[in-house]
Amino acid sequence: MYAIMLSLIVFAAPLEVARSADLIEIAALESRINEFTLKNGLHIIHYFDSSAPVVSVNVYYRVGSYDEQTGNTGISHMLEHMSFKHTDIYKPGDFDRILDSVGANNNGFTSTYYTGYYEELANEHWELALKLEAARMHKCIFPDSEFESEHQVVAEERRLWDNRPNSTLWEQFEAMAYLVHPHRNPTIGWPDDVKNYTVEKVRNWYKKYYNPSNAVIVIAGDVPFEEVKAKVEKYYGRIKGIPVKRTDFYDIEPALAGERRLIIRKRVNVPTLVIGFPTPGIRDSFHSVGDVVAAILGGGRNSRLYRTLVIDSGIATSVSAWNEVECDPGILEILVTPKNESLIPRVENIILAELKRMTTEPVNTQELQRVKNQTLAAALFDRDDISDIAWFLATSQITAGNWRYFLQKIEKIEETTADQVRFFCNQYLTGERRIVGILLPDKEAQ
Amino acid sequence: MKIYTRQLLVVLLGLIGNLFATMFFRDSLPNGLIILTYQDHRLPIVDISFVCRSGAVFDPEGKAGTASLCTDMLLRGTKKLSADSIAQILDFIGARYGTGTDFDRCFLNLRLLKKDLSLGLDILSEMVLEPAFPEDEFTRAQEQTLTSAQRAYDYPSALVAMEFDRLLFGKHRYSLPPRGDTATIRKITRDDLKNFHKTHFVPNNCFIVFVGAVDHEEIKNEVHRRFANWQPGPVSSPQSPETILPEKIRVKLITRKDMNQTYIQFGHPGISVFNNDLIATRLMSYILGGPPLSSRMGLAVREHGGLAYDVRCWFDRRLLPGAFRATVQTAKPKEAIEKMFTEIRRMHETGATKSELLKAQNYFTGSFPLSYSSNQGKLDRLSEIELYHYGIDWLERFPDLVRATTLQQVNETAKQHLHPDRYIMVIMGNVTKDELNLPDVEWVE
Repeated sequence: MYAIMLSLIVFAAPLEVARSADLIEIAALESRINEFTLKNGLHIIHYFDSSAPVVSVNVYYRVGSYDEQTGNTGISHMLEHMSFKHTDIYKPGDFDRILDSVGANNNGFTSTYYTGYYEELANEHWELALKLEAARMHKCIFPDSEFESEHQVVAEERRLWDNRPNSTLWEQFEAMAYLVHPHRNPTIGWPDDVKNYTVEKVRNWYKKYYNPSNAVIVIAGDVPFEEVKAKVEKYYGRIKGIPVKRTDFYDIEPALAGERRLIIRKRVNVPTLVIGFPTPGIRDSFHSVGDVVAAILGGGRNSRLYRTLVIDSGIATSVSAWNEVECDPGILEILVTPKNESLIPRVENIILAELKRMTTEPVNTQELQRVKNQTLAAALFDRDDISDIAWFLATSQITAGNWRYFLQKIEKIEETTADQVRFFCNQYLTGERRIVGILLPDKEAQ
Repeated sequence: MKIYTRQLLVVLLGLIGNLFATMFFRDSLPNGLIILTYQDHRLPIVDISFVCRSGAVFDPEGKAGTASLCTDMLLRGTKKLSADSIAQILDFIGARYGTGTDFDRCFLNLRLLKKDLSLGLDILSEMVLEPAFPEDEFTRAQEQTLTSAQRAYDYPSALVAMEFDRLLFGKHRYSLPPRGDTATIRKITRDDLKNFHKTHFVPNNCFIVFVGAVDHEEIKNEVHRRFANWQPGPVSSPQSPETILPEKIRVKLITRKDMNQTYIQFGHPGISVFNNDLIATRLMSYILGGPPLSSRMGLAVREHGGLAYDVRCWFDRRLLPGAFRATVQTAKPKEAIEKMFTEIRRMHETGATKSELLKAQNYFTGSFPLSYSSNQGKLDRLSEIELYHYGIDWLERFPDLVRATTLQQVNETAKQHLHPDRYIMVIMGNVTKDELNLPDVEWVE
């Protein structure tokens, strides 16, 4: 075994053949994908996989917290709730009753850039999901009488958020990190905005954003392309498309003028530290280097910060890092659980020293290769589940305007060099560009 | 081939017609180690789960968390490989790996590319057979587990569940989470972990599941090569909890003035996964408090009442009898509790309707294949089948059992296994006894 291990770690050459095979396997995904656009602007992506007789139907709308203004934050989420209730022919509860009766899993969710709905079901019933989603797209009605109870449900969901201490840290950290960009608003909405929703606001939001021209449908699984084409045309072809111009906030956030810091005291037992650095969005071809950097810093036991903070100095119990970039410029975030409050300055210093080292010394070949291998393997693992693939296709189409984006990102990571990593750290991960959030135990509240 | 006790021939799974052209095998080594394989060559990946049938219920007295910490330590060094070496190799090949412990089992999962299978099995077998439990790694793991336990106290939902378990299960191991709590984790020593491993990690108490691009015959040989010399040992049975059904509702109120919502969990003793009523009870509790948008509780509390985002109830599925639980988080606890009590009482007294049962049956049978359409899903289902001795034809049999369940059976389970107004209840939030105004309850301090 040790001979194999050595060959893996010391000699990269034997890996080349296998890596090529993996890349070919990943690229083969493309041959299973077809796409088309209806005259009304509805874009459909089809992924064929007949390994199990199941289908995942996904309808995504280009609307989320990105599109919301102060006073109306969370309205996309409120609409998502209301869209399960009433259409011209379906009454409250019908969606679930009908889908449950064929054993379908279904749900909806709201995010920064999109609102998505999905059904996973046996292929013999897939048309039913398409039909229901067509009704949701253009036949929802929002009777006054059904609004208030759902409004209260959403208010309760908002309270759940309030009672999770780390949620408060994240929410306020993001609000501090972004001065003007809509990333500063939570998807669920600010409490006062949630309180002030009206059914009229919901109707207007629906009218503006839910139509074929503003949607992407992904059908993944065991259903042939010709059938998808015919059925989509049948249920969606006659719905009027009204193009929605999304406001572009890509470069709206002013440059960071100095360090920002937030300290929250709540009734918690364990402190939490998050340090963020603004990083470029997806229009910058360099942005995927941020993913590589995050993995080198905080991707598991072999990462630099886990070694220095958890193993060598022993002043923290966990470390993780990721580059939070979905479309517009985002933040590379480092999350640490320090052993106690008094160690936080030391933790910060060690992180800054490690980042400094990243700007001066090139990362070693093995570190870089590890991240690339993990990326390739993950790309194959993700193909195990058609719902995961559907998610990648739909979100790439909406955030990058091209479903191939998630494959291109894998290639970009494959091509990343040590020089690029060093340049990225020099450019973006310097101490003066940091945004710090700290959650501390409030001893008086214990 | 002679080296194996061949228990079963190949089973072709004809799921909903010709659902999968994949094959499921079950074999065992002479030492008792069971091997399950689900061949699926559509992707060059393999998922492995190594499972020990002894979970947290076997923790030594006063040392809750031993099984969990022992399993965690499998990744942290063997006689030949340090924790760093294990992580370096597995991370370098892009593998995903982790351990877990619940009351019924300890497991080690490994997902890797097919080309790395042999290397992965070398490491997995070392982790299982020759863990070193190094001192420095033990100290670190113990601290990390303590931090997780402390962090759980920061979350009202976890706190309420822990308090409910403590009140219902008393001195039984079920009264604390599988991970243990801060007091018990501190008492665990390295020797405890070594003893747990020596006692419970024996081949006749373990099984290993493979799903993905594997060939069963090859896998058998690979497993045999690494595990054949592993010596069997005695296997013990866990003690069942001695739960008492309260005569009236017993309520523990935890006042938290910083909360803007009240968290509630209530229930009573439940059933074991081996109970003959298991499927009928699952159907009944699904109708009562399954999906929050369409179950009886969901309709009353969420859809019509607007009182909560999530409301549900369920019976624990464990080897030993667990609990029946209902949960809700709400700003209007009195109203939500009343509605939940009403629904449970109604189910107990008048049962479900034909159409409700049909809907539940359709959901169970329709969604079941979705739960194992992916490799990860297959791994979970096969582990469950082996752990609870459902039998290798379970994937075919389960839908039939669901369809065969009658309304009378479902309604009898409601009569037998629901006990209205005899609950243990934990309430946590900024609310007083007067505001709750619960009639005829015993307040627990």
